[in-house]
Amino acid sequence: MNLLWLEIYKTFSRWRTYIGFGFIALVVILTEVVMKLSAGEIVHRMMRSLQKDFLVFGNVLNGWFVTAFIMNSLHIHIPFLIALVAGDIVSGEATSGTVRFLLIRPPSRYRIITAKYVTTIFYTAGLVVFLGLMCILPGLALFGSGDLVVHHFGKFGIVFIPEAEIPIRMLVAFVAAIWSMTAVASIAFLFSTLVENSIGPIIGTMAVVVVFLVIGNFPFDFFRSLKPYLFTTYMVFWQQFLDDPIRWQEIVKSAVILGLHSLGLFFIAFGVYARKDIKS
Amino acid sequence: MKKFLLCLFWVSILLLPGVLHAQEDAARILDSLEKKYSSLKDYSADIHVHFDIEGFKAPDMQARLYCKPPDKMKIESKRIFFFPKEGGIFNPSMFNTEDFDVKSLERLTYEGSHAVKLKLTPKKRKQPGPQDFILTIDTDRNLIREINAASAEGREARARVEYGRFSDFDLPTRIELQLDFSFNESMEIKDFGQSPQQAKRVTGQVEITYSNYRVNTGLSDKIFNEPGSSKSRGGSYKGTESN
Repeated sequence: MNLLWLEIYKTFSRWRTYIGFGFIALVVILTEVVMKLSAGEIVHRMMRSLQKDFLVFGNVLNGWFVTAFIMNSLHIHIPFLIALVAGDIVSGEATSGTVRFLLIRPPSRYRIITAKYVTTIFYTAGLVVFLGLMCILPGLALFGSGDLVVHHFGKFGIVFIPEAEIPIRMLVAFVAAIWSMTAVASIAFLFSTLVENSIGPIIGTMAVVVVFLVIGNFPFDFFRSLKPYLFTTYMVFWQQFLDDPIRWQEIVKSAVILGLHSLGLFFIAFGVYARKDIKS
Repeated sequence: MKKFLLCLFWVSILLLPGVLHAQEDAARILDSLEKKYSSLKDYSADIHVHFDIEGFKAPDMQARLYCKPPDKMKIESKRIFFFPKEGGIFNPSMFNTEDFDVKSLERLTYEGSHAVKLKLTPKKRKQPGPQDFILTIDTDRNLIREINAASAEGREARARVEYGRFSDFDLPTRIELQLDFSFNESMEIKDFGQSPQQAKRVTGQVEITYSNYRVNTGLSDKIFNEPGSSKSRGGSYKGTESN
């Protein structure tokens, strides 16, 4: 436990750790202020297709809607912020020349790598929770509360979630988002155990995420057939909690696939680190 | 050939009074409908809306409707509220001979009563909005029983109206609305223009139940300036209030 706290302390002592938090705070606050200033235009744009046939009354642009909107916009960018810390957590020791000091202490390599992985997950969860709080608290203060109207772009229809159900749905959506981001963190963590500098794992993780996202979204049959095998396909399963009905089967499938990715990547990292020849 | 043209001319002359009479009759029916409700200054009612539309996953919604003919309407709801634009709101002064050209289509029997089908074409066409209305009017009771609204974009709304008697007025207790429209939302991508998407036909039904009427209570114009208000012109309600 002391080892875990030490790792957490070390991680949160680095200024790099706060880049992600700073970026999220800046982007979310900026987005919310802009949304507040151009509320009419945003409501018109999001309701344009519905307003041809329906009159819409009430506070559509509320704090919950803003939260869902920002989550939808940022879920592609959050992996990069996670990679900044997860990609550095093991290789950073080699870069700073502290890896030998670390390994001559009583805790075994297994305990050290496990503590580092748990720290990575802790940071990932912290970043997503911070995003959630940054969206919800100022969102509710600026835009008020109300029912959540989710409009799926490009197809007719809405999902209407009553206000009473939203907090619990948001909570599980954010838990699901943490679960998704854990898979990204695990890739960066594995890359971090493979090399001795931090840039490689960070860029490598970004490359994997970007390439998988691009492949998964190409409108060609060949790429479509690959889609089920890409973990990025399942990363947005948190959106299912803001749908009606909630498709539990798909949620369980996505959660299991992402969980297996995370676990598998961790065990590979575990094996790599256990056999690693420490030279610096 | 000359004889045929002459014959055609005389037939036209003979039929003309009948045609003119039919159009006068249609306008008279519409006028008498407007006259029937001329003393209806305002009304408010609780409305309950049930949606049964593909892809529209909304629960039943309740609100209080305030209406002041000819063009003021307000919805009061603590929650988000969706209301069909065409055919959902009862406004007898919406259909008048000043705004519409009226044409009689046919006489028929509607649920045991004498009825007539009138085609109303707006004198000033507005886009977007309904191009034509076809009303089925119960001429025995002087009531609009069906409203068919069709627009140039292929949108269709068909409302069947059931009435109850409230403070000497026949007012709707239930409106069953059949909607059929095409949905086409193209994605705007900067620098790439709009990506074309195939329009999808969406059909469904909306049931609107009216209850707890309060008629001619002297609603102030001020309440229609508050959020949730909407104004109508030429057949359908326009502006929406969502914030």
